[in-house]
Amino acid sequence: MGVISTDSPDSAAAAIARPAMARVPLARTAVFGAVALLLFLLVVLPFGWVLNNSFHDDLTGAWTLGNYARIFQSADLLEPLFNSLVLAVATAVIAVGIGVPLAWLVSRTDLPFRRTIRVLTLTAFVTPSFIGATGWILLAAPNSGWLNALWRTLAGAEAGPLLNIYSMTGAIFICGIYTVPYSFTMVSSALDEMAVELEDAAATLGSGTLRTMLSITIPLVTPAVIASFILSFIQGLTLFGVPAFLLTPTGIPVVTTKLAEFYQLFPPEIFMAAAYCMPLLLVTAMLFWMRRRILGRKQFVTISGKIRAGRRIALGGARWPAFFAALLLPLVSVFLPYAALLLVSLTRAWGQGLSWENLSLHWYWWALFGNSETHTAIVNSLLFSTLAATLCVMLGTVVAYIVERKMVFGASLFGAVATVPIIIPGIVMSVGFFAAYTRAPLNLYGTPLLLVAAFAATFLPIAYAHGGSILKGIGPELERAARSLGAGEGRTFLAITIPLMGGGLLSGWFLVFIPIIRELSVAVFLITPKTNVMTTLIYNAKDGGNYEAVCAMSVLLLLITLALVAAAGPLTRLTSARRTSRKTAPAEGALPT
Amino acid sequence: MMEFSRRRLLQTGGLVGTALVTGGLAGTAFPRFAAAADDPLYAAAKKEGALTLYWGSYEQQTMEAIRDAFKAKYPGIEVNLLRQASQTVYTRLRMELQSGVHECDSLGTTNLLHYTELKKIGALAPVEPADAVHIPDAFRNLDPDKMYHVGAISLTSINYAPGKVQTPPPSWQALLEDQWHGKITTGSPAFSGDVANWVVAIRRKYGDDYLRAFGKQKPKVGQSNVDTVTDILAGERVVGSGAPFSYTLTQKAAGNPIDVVAPADDAILNLGITGVLAKAPHPNAARLFTNFLYSTEVSMILQKNFWPTLRKDVPWAEGRSLDQLKWYRNTGDDLGPEVAEGIAKWKELVR
Repeated sequence: MGVISTDSPDSAAAAIARPAMARVPLARTAVFGAVALLLFLLVVLPFGWVLNNSFHDDLTGAWTLGNYARIFQSADLLEPLFNSLVLAVATAVIAVGIGVPLAWLVSRTDLPFRRTIRVLTLTAFVTPSFIGATGWILLAAPNSGWLNALWRTLAGAEAGPLLNIYSMTGAIFICGIYTVPYSFTMVSSALDEMAVELEDAAATLGSGTLRTMLSITIPLVTPAVIASFILSFIQGLTLFGVPAFLLTPTGIPVVTTKLAEFYQLFPPEIFMAAAYCMPLLLVTAMLFWMRRRILGRKQFVTISGKIRAGRRIALGGARWPAFFAALLLPLVSVFLPYAALLLVSLTRAWGQGLSWENLSLHWYWWALFGNSETHTAIVNSLLFSTLAATLCVMLGTVVAYIVERKMVFGASLFGAVATVPIIIPGIVMSVGFFAAYTRAPLNLYGTPLLLVAAFAATFLPIAYAHGGSILKGIGPELERAARSLGAGEGRTFLAITIPLMGGGLLSGWFLVFIPIIRELSVAVFLITPKTNVMTTLIYNAKDGGNYEAVCAMSVLLLLITLALVAAAGPLTRLTSARRTSRKTAPAEGALPT
Repeated sequence: MMEFSRRRLLQTGGLVGTALVTGGLAGTAFPRFAAAADDPLYAAAKKEGALTLYWGSYEQQTMEAIRDAFKAKYPGIEVNLLRQASQTVYTRLRMELQSGVHECDSLGTTNLLHYTELKKIGALAPVEPADAVHIPDAFRNLDPDKMYHVGAISLTSINYAPGKVQTPPPSWQALLEDQWHGKITTGSPAFSGDVANWVVAIRRKYGDDYLRAFGKQKPKVGQSNVDTVTDILAGERVVGSGAPFSYTLTQKAAGNPIDVVAPADDAILNLGITGVLAKAPHPNAARLFTNFLYSTEVSMILQKNFWPTLRKDVPWAEGRSLDQLKWYRNTGDDLGPEVAEGIAKWKELVR
């Protein structure tokens, strides 16, 4: 009941559902069966193929442990693993270090232009990180970067470069700033849903704003913070574009660039690549184990049917300084790189530099009308992403509910399964999906369904983690009340839990929709000429060195996604308004506030 | 407009009308069109109704132009183009074959080894394109069994920023001079087939000493050799090694300050190859397409996009031709291990 860290064993949550378990065995079995079947089809089957592949030799196809032996015998293969860990830890630290305070500022304080900051952070999210890296190459390449050129005009032509984006620091910086949106969205939706009594209590007892934040507010959203730390870590582990652009020139190999080399070899070493992903799985499993250790015995319930006041913490004199600090992230992740990209996309030939003669909308015209493939690709991208995100959020939420409420024996296994896909880099999962669905009885090759399934599976861990961190904050009392009044499990979930999750579900939808729309690697062996997506075209343009087109298409992709987010704005307000009114009505009479 | 009229008139069967409409256009248009209509291969292909291309040779734009020209010349055949990087396309095809999926009709990639492997497992079908007689002599009859043919000609050379470089390095050897220290950009042989091919050639010519000296020049190593153009245009470096010849010229023609030198110690030539799959669902359409590659239309498209043409009688853009260049091509049956060795040496000596 609105209490934290009570060290109570978590059997309380388990107790809610159990008594009525036998009441509707058929419907119950059907739902769990469907969830289990979906998880099997989306995750277990393709991952099973990846695992199976990892034990086979690329040349002979024979069963072997040789791939694994090779990893641990060759410094050439161990070094990338080490570099990837460094990159991943640093990325997660930056993402959480910036994302959590930013989320607090936006969700809990009277920071000016909160909505704008929120939208701008989402804009950073829409940006594929390789596009961000491209923008930053234009800004901070040691010799030609515009910021370095500016520095030289100030410090003298002989001065060394101020910034060097081609470095581990550069890669960490880019991975970090483009991962902040994950931690920001997850933590801010937890904060948005949070009740304020505890903060009020702290304030009454004389605790200052900062102290309240550090000792009450942030600890209350620990599940979201940890979930976003793990997601950011995985993101740092699995990103390909940024290390390929920024670390290849410095000769620092990471796991994903090494994987690309396996595929580039002749003959391609795809079984070796499968084995090479498994250490990532091991490291991530360790993180989840640590999370269990940290969270396992505590409760983080803050929504328990009580009133949620819309009150915000007054920052006072710190309002404007805080605002400028909050603007830093959009500045480095959106404004600066997009300014660079926009300039390139608006030139006829970007090497000529800026001049009126060189200014042109040609590449936008080309992307929209000059290229017959673009139309289908845009429609496909939007359609597949919408379907996949919906499937993903539905499944992820149900799985999270089953796990959080421990509804069946072995519920945590569901959770573990739902987490696997994101750890396996997309190109390897793509092979798994290919192997699973190009043979009878499930031959889906060439159909849009296969792409939707692959996209939904890849980002299922985000939907699951996001759903889980919201559910941790929702107390079981209301559900219990519904159950004791005779509502079944299904009805309770739909009528009580889902409305309480409310806006968090919508933000969760965008949290998967956006990465899906900019995902390429999991689709790489699954797309066909008829199911082509936007990112393939962007990648082909990049591959062909057509930077003006890459930039123009990226700007278009950004605009399309932003338009969708804007369209969803009223929807968010609608759901949150409904939620507040529902919550307020019973609360007013029941609780002295 | 021309295609539109032609297609429409064909549907109404008005051959005489077609002659009248196209009569005022290029003199060769009519005979070629008539030939297309009478072609028994076309008739068979039309019956199949579709064609699926898995192509990695040529960038998206050129490949789409070729596809559109094919559709215009041979109406009634739907063309599905899967354009991805060569190695991706090949990996996919290999997996399809292993799963017993047969989608691809015509494969076009930049690596000869793909075809020697496919031939070995009996996955290719012999093709004898009638127009292959027009292919430059050096690249005709690549395979005695006609299982594969040339699909693209690609040259690797040196590019540079004309405004910042007075005299560009005239040869690969000249790149090792002190003046280019810290000024060179290149691609990685582990990512780029073109650069891997260059490494093999340079080791054959000058041995590992070259790579050692090249490493001391502190080149910036990107992924694809296309990145050399990006680095030069951005001003990050001024000279590109192992650089794409055609693509640099395209960028130059677009107005970008960049140019290309054909090295005196040979531009490195790599052939894109094409083959028809033994179990192609549309074998006639695939053969029709292979033959179409050696048509004047396609070579004109290649010329326009600064690619070396596939016909002796069509010069390259800006009046260049194969005869004016000194070039070298890696030949031999054992290129696979040599490429792997080259990449390993590169990692040891260049970085």
